[in-house]
Amino acid sequence: MNEVAAAAQAKSGGAAASTGESVSPTGKDAAPTGKGAAQAGKDASPGGKSAAQAGGGVPPAGKGVTQAGKNVSPSDKSTAQAGKSAPPVDKGVAQAGRGTTAPPVAGGVSPAGRDVADPPVGKDTSPGKGSAAGSSAAKEASPAGKAVTPPAGKSAPVSRRDGAAVPAGDGGLQAAAPEANAFEAFRRRPRGVLAQSGKIRPEAGAKTPASAASSPEHAPASLQGGGVPPLRASTRKDDPQAESAKANAADADVVTSAETVGEAPGDGSGTGAVESAQRSADSDAAGGVSASALGTDVVSDKTGVSDTTGVSDKTGASEASASSGTTGASEASASSDTAPASGVGAASEAVSGGEEPPGSGPDSDEIVILDDGESVQDEADQGETGEGEADQGETGEGDADREDVEDEVGGEAGETSGDRVRELPLPDAVSEALTNALAALRDSVTGLHFGLDLPGAEEARRAQSEILAQLDDYVIPRIHMSTAPALVVVAGSTGAGKSTLLNTLANAKVSATGVRRPTTGTPVLACHPEDYEWFAEGDLLGSLRRWEAPAPKAEPGSLVLVSTERLPTGVALLDTPDIDSVVEEHHEIAHRMLDAADLWIFVTTAARYADAPAWRLLRLAKERGAKLAIVLSRVPTKSRDVITKHFVRMLTEYGLGEVDRFVINESKVTDGMLPDHEVTELRLWLTELSVDDQRRAQAVQATLSGALDSFRTRIPALARQLEVQVTFRSELRGDVDTAYANALTEIEEATRNGSLLHGEVLARWQDFAGSGDLMRTLHLRRPGRFAGKASQQAPERLSALKSALRAGLESVIVSAAQRAAEETVSRWLHRSGAGEALIETAGLGRVSDELSRRTSRAVGGWQDHIIELIRTEGVTKRAVARLVSFDVESLALIFVIGLLGYGSAEAEGTGGGLPQRLVHALLGAESLRTIGAKARSDLRARIATLFDDETSRYVQALDGAGIPDESVATRLYQATYNLEVAR
Amino acid sequence: MSVGTTQTRQGLGSRLAALSRIVELGPGRVDPKLLTESGQLLLRAGDRLKLSADHTVVALAGGTGSGKSTLFNSISGLELSPTGVRRPTTARAHACVWGLDGAGPLLDWLQIQWRHRFARASALDKGESRLHGLILLDLPDHDSIRALTDTEADRLIQVADLVVWVLDPQKYADASTHRRYVTELAGHEAVTIFVLNQADRLSPEELAECVADLNDLLRREGVEDPVIVTTSATTGEGVDELKTVLADTVARRRAAVQRLEADLDRLTLRLAKAMPDSGAPVPLSSIDDARRIGLTDALCDAVGVPAVGEAMENVYGVRSVEWVGWPYSRWAAKLRPDPLNSLRLGDLRDEIKGLTGGSVSAQAAEVDTAVRALSDGLTVGMHEAWQNGIRDAARSRSAELPQLLSDELSEVAPRLDRVPGWWRLLLVWQYLLVLLFLAGVAWLGTALAYGVFGAGSLPAGLAVFGEAASLPWVGLMVLSVLGLGLLTAVASRNFVMLGAGNERDRLEREMRRRVGTVASAMVIEPVERELARYNEFYSALRGVRG
Repeated sequence: MNEVAAAAQAKSGGAAASTGESVSPTGKDAAPTGKGAAQAGKDASPGGKSAAQAGGGVPPAGKGVTQAGKNVSPSDKSTAQAGKSAPPVDKGVAQAGRGTTAPPVAGGVSPAGRDVADPPVGKDTSPGKGSAAGSSAAKEASPAGKAVTPPAGKSAPVSRRDGAAVPAGDGGLQAAAPEANAFEAFRRRPRGVLAQSGKIRPEAGAKTPASAASSPEHAPASLQGGGVPPLRASTRKDDPQAESAKANAADADVVTSAETVGEAPGDGSGTGAVESAQRSADSDAAGGVSASALGTDVVSDKTGVSDTTGVSDKTGASEASASSGTTGASEASASSDTAPASGVGAASEAVSGGEEPPGSGPDSDEIVILDDGESVQDEADQGETGEGEADQGETGEGDADREDVEDEVGGEAGETSGDRVRELPLPDAVSEALTNALAALRDSVTGLHFGLDLPGAEEARRAQSEILAQLDDYVIPRIHMSTAPALVVVAGSTGAGKSTLLNTLANAKVSATGVRRPTTGTPVLACHPEDYEWFAEGDLLGSLRRWEAPAPKAEPGSLVLVSTERLPTGVALLDTPDIDSVVEEHHEIAHRMLDAADLWIFVTTAARYADAPAWRLLRLAKERGAKLAIVLSRVPTKSRDVITKHFVRMLTEYGLGEVDRFVINESKVTDGMLPDHEVTELRLWLTELSVDDQRRAQAVQATLSGALDSFRTRIPALARQLEVQVTFRSELRGDVDTAYANALTEIEEATRNGSLLHGEVLARWQDFAGSGDLMRTLHLRRPGRFAGKASQQAPERLSALKSALRAGLESVIVSAAQRAAEETVSRWLHRSGAGEALIETAGLGRVSDELSRRTSRAVGGWQDHIIELIRTEGVTKRAVARLVSFDVESLALIFVIGLLGYGSAEAEGTGGGLPQRLVHALLGAESLRTIGAKARSDLRARIATLFDDETSRYVQALDGAGIPDESVATRLYQATYNLEVAR
Repeated sequence: MSVGTTQTRQGLGSRLAALSRIVELGPGRVDPKLLTESGQLLLRAGDRLKLSADHTVVALAGGTGSGKSTLFNSISGLELSPTGVRRPTTARAHACVWGLDGAGPLLDWLQIQWRHRFARASALDKGESRLHGLILLDLPDHDSIRALTDTEADRLIQVADLVVWVLDPQKYADASTHRRYVTELAGHEAVTIFVLNQADRLSPEELAECVADLNDLLRREGVEDPVIVTTSATTGEGVDELKTVLADTVARRRAAVQRLEADLDRLTLRLAKAMPDSGAPVPLSSIDDARRIGLTDALCDAVGVPAVGEAMENVYGVRSVEWVGWPYSRWAAKLRPDPLNSLRLGDLRDEIKGLTGGSVSAQAAEVDTAVRALSDGLTVGMHEAWQNGIRDAARSRSAELPQLLSDELSEVAPRLDRVPGWWRLLLVWQYLLVLLFLAGVAWLGTALAYGVFGAGSLPAGLAVFGEAASLPWVGLMVLSVLGLGLLTAVASRNFVMLGAGNERDRLEREMRRRVGTVASAMVIEPVERELARYNEFYSALRGVRG
């Protein structure tokens, strides 16, 4: 797992950092230490131990470090507490941050930084990214507190007291917790998290790093925004080592933060740096800019910042310049580590970029590389998850890229304009991580099956196929080529003039028009000849079959592809079927096209603009964050103003007032085309889009991230539905268990209170006893006539009683099972919806056909078992044995009669307890009790087995519905989470 | 009102009556949703039939922008309903009445606001008498975003006598019209008209294509032979034709009934689908003998009647020995050592004896099984709801049944410790014989002592006992007394067994009779009631079908 890897790395990084300090100068030394650290990291990652180990590892760094270690350990304990403490953490951190930044500044900061970096990181890291961020924050806090060392003695202690250090630690730990926690938090309340992150951001803006620290818990997305600031704070203080450590610990996010931090350190430079950092954070949060963009931004910030900070720190701290050099190196290593861990190439790049400026320059670079290799190995050693390996591979590749990028960045660093950066293709590492995450997501969505027809299941199934189609048609292809031609989808009601519009824009009859509604059944894609190949062979809408010319008959899953010179390059138009006609397949196709669109052109008419389906579509566009343009077509010239105003007002009410709008007058359609002047504006708009790469790229990115954002709610919604199904299933299962448990209790009751001894059983018993057979089962131990007589006479009545008993017991069991079956069915029916379908699938309302056969076998077996028991365990009392012998079979029957509660009910008359007394006298109390208990438990076991067979029918019916288990939902959450992280 | 109308009304009336019967019988058996709808239809039919039969409510329905209001104005010849280019335009239904008499309550029922009611009769009435009795409604649209929260159009479409769907070339194939209404109201051909408005926007060829397409579409949706009129409300083209169609309908005065019939037909179809007739002839309301006997047998088994009889016979036999058996063998048996005594459980013997005085009782589980078997057999092929109903009816008194059976049978159950008088006589006789035997033995002894051994002399009166010559005779007598006792014992035992057999037969017959009585009161009667309900329901369903 990414997180795990990150953790391990972080540890190693931390260790490296600490070692780095002691070792100081040579990057190499640092590197080896890094390994050792990494190992320590491994240990740490597995469990809570890590804290202690981390502490151990820390000592080399110095007091500060050790203290940090201590701090950390408490926090570990607190980890269990989970997210709650987050807010307090913020405060603490914030204070710490302040303390550090403000007076003590450089000197104070630097020590603090170390502390923070080392041990805590290791621990934190292990849990998860989010945690990592938190941990880093915590570290920061702790360092601040510890910063104590030389410079600002006061400030440092104060900050500690504030609880910055400790609380922060807690917070960090919590955040770090196990992945599961962070993950859980994420899963439980994605929205809540977002909201929090939202809050946090402003704080970050306020320059309080602490706030950021709290964020780690939040969804990954928030991490970017919130997580970054805190890191910065920590970094500032820290030496480079510290930074590196943090970087390691934290994932990509952390790294970025570290860098930013670097900026902060120098007070003088600090402010500016901080601001820039904030800016970057803000921009991330605000734009939801793609990962690459973020990464680049960050880099630029870092570079600028780090330069100043690094210098200032060193000077102020009065630490050895060499150390600074080391720092640089360590940072580099850290960055490399992080990169693999997070799998975010951008982050790592950014870090490295930051390093360069400090001045260590080439050295640092080399070091970096070394570190990378090592760290990678370390990771491998650690045997992280399969993903981890993949990451490593990526990192390996990524390093080279990174260097390149660094150079570039370095050159541009001064200027660093976010826009320019955006033009760069997505770094491979990013898109790869994203691809992996998406592939994982796709897999987990594909495997879903909503077997029960619960309310919402139908929607979920539809959502599932939509998501799959969108992933295949759009998202997965799209992340690989953000600058490719933009696909503009023309959608709208039937008869709105979509095809006419397309024809007019293409200046050719590429899509059929007519009076028949609906007209277009197969989507038609028109593009410039240059883009033709791209669309013909590209993965976008890859699952659709391409046609050269309009397909003879509308066949689902096809796409007509035409090229026309009239369309600008880089923009392709896609004419879709309607969204509201009687042909419902069209709606599906249209929505699928829309899901694959980079931009939407929504066409409506003067007669239709108030239609409900149209507004449903607009709302969808808004929800998805898709880039949208609206065309109001067929507007009568004379009422153009009235209609337009009204429409605009409606749009504004719906929050779509800002959308690009075009009005097309009602005019004569010739050959499926409008007069060209009607679409001039629209054509212009398209041309602009074609010419202005940046704008287009922006639009494409906006829609893409809108789509990715939408997964944040859509996939958890699926998972929730899945959970509903799982819960429902377990409720149904519970119904079965309850019903049969009741039946079992009923039977137990019936076999205890004598209610079984009615009817034939009673009559047979009376027969058996009254006719003297009962007495004949006993005979004096004197071989002779009586024995013979008894054995002759007994069988008839004895076997009658025996079979009556068996029949009675059988009927009790079968009738209880029957009632249980009915109860189950009625319970299922009471649960609305899905239960009914299940019941229809199998004749569950009654007992299974073999039940009575099996029951009689079971009861017969039980009777035999009792005979066996009496024979083997019923050791006759010695005193008795000398006098009397008995017929085992009869005695067994008598025993059963007694066992079933003969005499316990008043209705039995005067014979109360007779069988018991008889058996008691013969066998003694002790063996009577043992045999009794054994017989009962045997009976219960036999009935339970019978009922297991019965309930298995229901379980089969449930399984037949194909409801996945809960882990699938969890996997979904995890996949969503990973996706967010990868972004 | 024509004769035909009256007849139809009667036909409709009886169908509605049958429907109300279904609503009465249905709860618990029929899907509640269907029942609710049936109830609503009944209410609506009752209301509509009470109100003016001389008026025909015609609703202009359609999507926003189709030109309903324009058409409304065009038909009425007045600018009654505001038209416009903003969508949606009409928010409340407007009504125009040709011939006001009695229309008021109808409009009230339709919940048309006063200010939206217009009367055409008093206004310029130039040759529009053919439309007399028409209430034309201009509905709000049903497909705009406004309609999502406003169900007025929906409501009025459900209650209008005749619905005119105003379609236009742009929207005629909208799912919102077809899926929600046209398909749902298939079978309402007689009370539905389709108007393709805005015909002026199309060329004649296009119009023809459009109409053909619409026709196909409607047929695909199950509207047989749709009435399609093309109009242009703005140019007035085709409006007269529409008026003629409306005038026809209004003149016939049958739309209201036809509409209700169509609704009823549709509902009936759904009812019949939800509650399929088993196909088999109506199950006999009275349960046949075979089933009764089967139930009685099963209940008898549950009570253990045969076993009780057998036990009685056996126990009788055993106990009779005490009374009518040969005393000598009894005494001999007593001399045998008793295992119970050796176990110090001597008192158990009495208990065992007392045990035979037990009563008869029924076993609940078996009773349940028996009842279930009956209902299962009866309900083969029935709809599940009725299966459950009959099963529940059969079980309705299951809880008390075992006790009741026990009580009932205990009355006839023989006391097994009963001792008939002749047993006592025989006992006396046996003892008499024993006495005789003893006397004979004494005589023998005397004869031996005095007659053979001459032990002395007997008093003169008793000399006869001392004669040795009497020895053979006395010996013979003693032996025959013994033999007589034995014979008597054997014979009386046979008599006992014979009697016990008879008694057993009588007992079993009596018990069976009683079980039968109980079963019919506790099981069969409720089942029969439920079966009657079942039959009534299906006859009502057939009645609704007409």
